[in-house]
Amino acid sequence: MTISGLIGLAFILVFSGLIILFTATGRGRFEANLRRIPAFARLRRAIGLAVEAGSRLHISIGRGNLTSPESAVAFVGLSALEGMIRSASTGDNPPIATTGDASLAILVRDALSGTYRDIGNIEQYDPTTGQLAGFTPFSYAVGTLPAVQDEKTTAHILIGHFGSEVALITDAGERSGNLTLAGTDNLPAQAILYATAQEPLIGEEVYASGAYLRAGPMHIASLKAQDIFRWGLILVIIAGVLLKIAGLDQAIVDMFGGLL
Amino acid sequence: MNLKLKSPISTAIAIGVGVVVLLGYFFGGDPAGELTTLGLLRDFLLQGAIVWAAVAMLVGIANLASVHLGKVRADEEGSFSFILLLSLIITLGVGLYDIIKTHTDQQLNFQRTSWIFNYIQLPIETSLMAVLAVSLTYAAVRLLTRRLNLLSAVFIGVVLMLLIGAVPQVAALAPLFAEIRNWILQIPTMAGARGILLGVALGTIATGIRILTGGDRPYRG
Repeated sequence: MTISGLIGLAFILVFSGLIILFTATGRGRFEANLRRIPAFARLRRAIGLAVEAGSRLHISIGRGNLTSPESAVAFVGLSALEGMIRSASTGDNPPIATTGDASLAILVRDALSGTYRDIGNIEQYDPTTGQLAGFTPFSYAVGTLPAVQDEKTTAHILIGHFGSEVALITDAGERSGNLTLAGTDNLPAQAILYATAQEPLIGEEVYASGAYLRAGPMHIASLKAQDIFRWGLILVIIAGVLLKIAGLDQAIVDMFGGLL
Repeated sequence: MNLKLKSPISTAIAIGVGVVVLLGYFFGGDPAGELTTLGLLRDFLLQGAIVWAAVAMLVGIANLASVHLGKVRADEEGSFSFILLLSLIITLGVGLYDIIKTHTDQQLNFQRTSWIFNYIQLPIETSLMAVLAVSLTYAAVRLLTRRLNLLSAVFIGVVLMLLIGAVPQVAALAPLFAEIRNWILQIPTMAGARGILLGVALGTIATGIRILTGGDRPYRG
């Protein structure tokens, strides 16, 4: 095992330890310390309004492949879907979910049926509310449009892996006059969402969805652990800059380069 | 801790497989570069996942067909759904014919499937790409009316600068403009992108750990 592999393993072990520690000791204590993200405040209001008006929420969890790192943000989308079903369970129209990946579509239907079963409302589960919209990026975007343009739908939440095709979905959402909240892991798509979505989630904000939608104390604990590691990375970057300014960067590379 | 162990067997399998694959990345090879038992197990599990993802595609097609069949029956946007189902059946038939032809002729023969892809699928997707360009231009203008603040103004300003600077004649006429454009691309853009990617990486690791520890379960079992 190389030194860089060892550092990677240590990184994951410490990260896991911190999440477990904060979950065991925190129990939602940190919820009050969450930074205010206007997008989630608007989303909670939209969920409340949808329940009151008997309208529908639409969530799209992108087209991230389950066997690739893109699946992580799709799992965040699934957590958000679960949170929204729980919040909107008393409404007349159940939330509708779309995806652009076949294996994710199975997970979506599983999440829908499982959540309705958990809340004792399985009769409200409609298998057609979990839809595979298309297999290619653009067919997925176009296949999602009927759900976006549906008159019964009042909010669109896009959390998952998207490419530039997401602009077609957010543009349709904007035209329908409904709330469009969107976040992704893809950098070009984030730039597009900044311009096209009413409430864009930039950077790691999308990974905080579970914590803000009260998906469980582990989501809040993982935010706390991420903050600690973020500060650690900032310190390492500043140290790197100072070493570069002092002209010691090459000496450090020579010293440790062979180990990595 | 809020471990949702409602289906302990599926949870145990998922966590076990996840841990083996993760450890396989760190202990999967020996110093000579040969795969260890853990490495072989990791590859076997990952190959299995790829096969299952392919099987899921069949389930996905069935899901797509059932949703649109329901729409045709309910006469809800029925015409579009009918076209989709008809296209699905025709493409499936052509694909099967090409597969049979390949086996009977003992040589690759996917001309008909390629024709569908090259002359129907590709032009449609290219047209959508063109629509996207118009949508994005419109969205950029709308951004100024909807969210007029310093960040939006900087966003639009930089986009315009980069687009104008990409024109070769502009670079030839105004070299300083081209230099500023390159500096924007290489320094602030790269720094911002790396910052965002670090945040995304931390979020990805946190999500993975939540799933590995059973704190987050995207599956039910």
